[in-house]
Amino acid sequence: MTRAETQAESRARTPADDVEDGDGGGARRGPRRTVLARLRFTSLRLRLVVVFGLVALTAAVSASGIAYWLNREAVLTRTQDAALNDFKEEMQNRAASLPKDPTKDELRRAAVQMSLGSQRYSVLLIARDADGKTVVGNSDLDTFTRDDVPKSLRDTVNKRQPVGGGNKDEYHVFWQRIVTDGTPYLVGGARVIGDGGPTGYMLKSLEAEEQDLSSLGWSLGIATALALVGAALLAQAAATTVLKPVHRLGVAARRLGEGELHTRLRVSGTDELAELSRTFNSTAAALEKKVADMSAREESSRRFVADMSHELRTPLTAITAVTEVLEEEEDSLDPMIAPAVRLVVSETRRLNDLVENLMEVTRFDAGTARLVLDDVDIADQITACIDARAWLDAVDLDAERGIMARLDPRRLDVILANLIGNALKHGGSPVRVSVRETRSAARGAELTIEVRDNGPGIPQDVLPHVFDRFYKASASRPRSEGSGLGLSIALENAHIHGGEITAANSPAGGAVFTLRLPQDPSDGEADGEDGCDRAGREGREGGGGGFRGRPGDRVDVDVDTDADTAGGTTGGTAHDSTHDSAHDAATRGADR
Amino acid sequence: MTPVPSLLLIEDDDAIRTALELSLTRQGHRVATAATGEDGLKLLREQRPDLIVLDVMLPGIDGFEVCRRIRRTDQLPIILLTARNDDIDVVVGLESGADDYVVKPVQGRVLDARIRAVLRRGEREANDSAVFGSLVIDRSAMTVTKDGEDLQLTPTELRLLLELSRRPGQALSRQQLLRLVWEHDYLGDSRLVDACVQRLRAKVEDVPSSPTLIRTVRGVGYRLDSPQ
Repeated sequence: MTRAETQAESRARTPADDVEDGDGGGARRGPRRTVLARLRFTSLRLRLVVVFGLVALTAAVSASGIAYWLNREAVLTRTQDAALNDFKEEMQNRAASLPKDPTKDELRRAAVQMSLGSQRYSVLLIARDADGKTVVGNSDLDTFTRDDVPKSLRDTVNKRQPVGGGNKDEYHVFWQRIVTDGTPYLVGGARVIGDGGPTGYMLKSLEAEEQDLSSLGWSLGIATALALVGAALLAQAAATTVLKPVHRLGVAARRLGEGELHTRLRVSGTDELAELSRTFNSTAAALEKKVADMSAREESSRRFVADMSHELRTPLTAITAVTEVLEEEEDSLDPMIAPAVRLVVSETRRLNDLVENLMEVTRFDAGTARLVLDDVDIADQITACIDARAWLDAVDLDAERGIMARLDPRRLDVILANLIGNALKHGGSPVRVSVRETRSAARGAELTIEVRDNGPGIPQDVLPHVFDRFYKASASRPRSEGSGLGLSIALENAHIHGGEITAANSPAGGAVFTLRLPQDPSDGEADGEDGCDRAGREGREGGGGGFRGRPGDRVDVDVDTDADTAGGTTGGTAHDSTHDSAHDAATRGADR
Repeated sequence: MTPVPSLLLIEDDDAIRTALELSLTRQGHRVATAATGEDGLKLLREQRPDLIVLDVMLPGIDGFEVCRRIRRTDQLPIILLTARNDDIDVVVGLESGADDYVVKPVQGRVLDARIRAVLRRGEREANDSAVFGSLVIDRSAMTVTKDGEDLQLTPTELRLLLELSRRPGQALSRQQLLRLVWEHDYLGDSRLVDACVQRLRAKVEDVPSSPTLIRTVRGVGYRLDSPQ
């Protein structure tokens, strides 16, 4: 039960939180909504308990109330009637046989005799003696005096009733119930008919009856309480029988939402809940089938793209190898032919890059992209990346040497090349790149690389789409230099490291892309090494500046390819001394 | 070393084979070509080329198998031509003994640069020798002996050992080794180093799984030391 509530609580809280997130200023409204939501959930159980309780209470209270009332009347009437009848008889027998003007002693004797009857009451006799004085005789002075008799009763008893109609007698027996010192008593009184006849009163304790009635009341109260408890338990049981399937349904629905599409409910019985479970099952089955269809279609289209780009590679490899030959002969070509050759060469490169990017994207989509981790100096990597693309003059680098990170250097290069290339393309130089090391308890050591340009910034409506595939910022330039996949690939590369890229506009103007990378993404996972007992963390990389390799093996390399692959370009700037293998690796790096 | 390096290109696709032959010939290499692994192995025995450029995807026996067969008898450099840069290809290729790899579509001059870098590894540089336990590295003869027996090392393995032996006791990072041995830039694939170290250990160590000569330095790379 507790589990059900906890579950539901978390479920119930979600929409409330959404609302809170939605309206932004709901910091104070949030908790109240949560409480409301919780109440809304618990109300089913609560309502059941309350309703059951009310029904039980009404039934029990009315039944026991009536029973009590009837009993009380029966008991009291019987006692009362017996006592009053006895008293009446005694009055006729004893009081009426008194002499006309009795003395106090005679009165008392008569009173004592009267009180000795089976009914056990005290008697008080009042009469006038010969002198016209009122004399009082009572059976028990301690318990019954004249003051105990309420005045109203005395008046009624002494009042002569008009004779006639249904009334034959001048005087009747009257009674009243009183409570003295917490004990209930029956007080009765009568006057002997005839002039100057004595007046008699009786006092009978009703304590025994009171006790009987009170124990009856207690029993009825306990019975009512038991009925209430029983009702509450029944309500709980009823709620559970309803809520348990509802809870199961909820759990199943959540699992379905989490992607476990094979989730089904066990259907038992034929009630509404079973019907609901059946509906749930058929819905889940339909959903599963639909998702399976869709993912099969998606899978086949993905495979198609992968296969296609792979197939394109073979002819491209041949063409690429030959275009170089053409390019080298460009100077000796007919001036009419040369532009055509240049076009073929440059477009072949574009096609290469596009195919490479497509393959990269399909690798990410298929989840086959892997990290090849190494310990690297970030400042060196960025410098090398900029240098390899001849961007040194266009980029302001603010990074300290010695910041080490364990990452895939090629993927970092792809990210940087895309971000910087994009900044150069849209913002113009100088592009500012800054590196910070941050450490937080939540995310551990992190690397923050900021790429800031000087351009007009990114329009607000474009901002959410900058990482979309083939999304072009300006429709007026449908055929930009990039493949349209650059930033998307950069983002994927950040993600595979467990990092993130965010785009924003700087308050000072210009767009800012912020790359966050964990300094060691391999925590706890293998890093694709192949047998050597390689396990490095805070490695000290030497010689970061020497990536250019040995002198003497340099060829002229057009860095256009690199820049293009990276999603940005500086035009056809020839970098006259880029190391050949640097060029190749850069190409491959961008490819990967 | 012959003044004009002779290459053997094993590639099944006609267009790629023709194009690469054209391109490499223009870069000044003598190129022999074969369309299948079997033909390639036969040509290897007949022509004794300086280096092999080997496609991975071949009909019949594949590139990896060709590579393994060559390594059984020969230590000449092999550059793999992989159509996919899937990691499994690279790893398997390096394990079967390749010295380097390039990913298609490759530019002729990039391949040329790689070829020249690999060939340079066999060039001698100094005239001295170094001794590490039972291991003797003769830099003038470019030979390595262990317990007096000649070890058959590929040029890459030899160069790796030379670079490590030049700085005895000093740890070299993978990136440094990539620059020194493979002449790769800052984006060099560190798995090349790991695979080569593994092969080298198999040849020079008494127990390759618990190396005493080429030690791994956590978080840095590798170092060569005389056994304690």
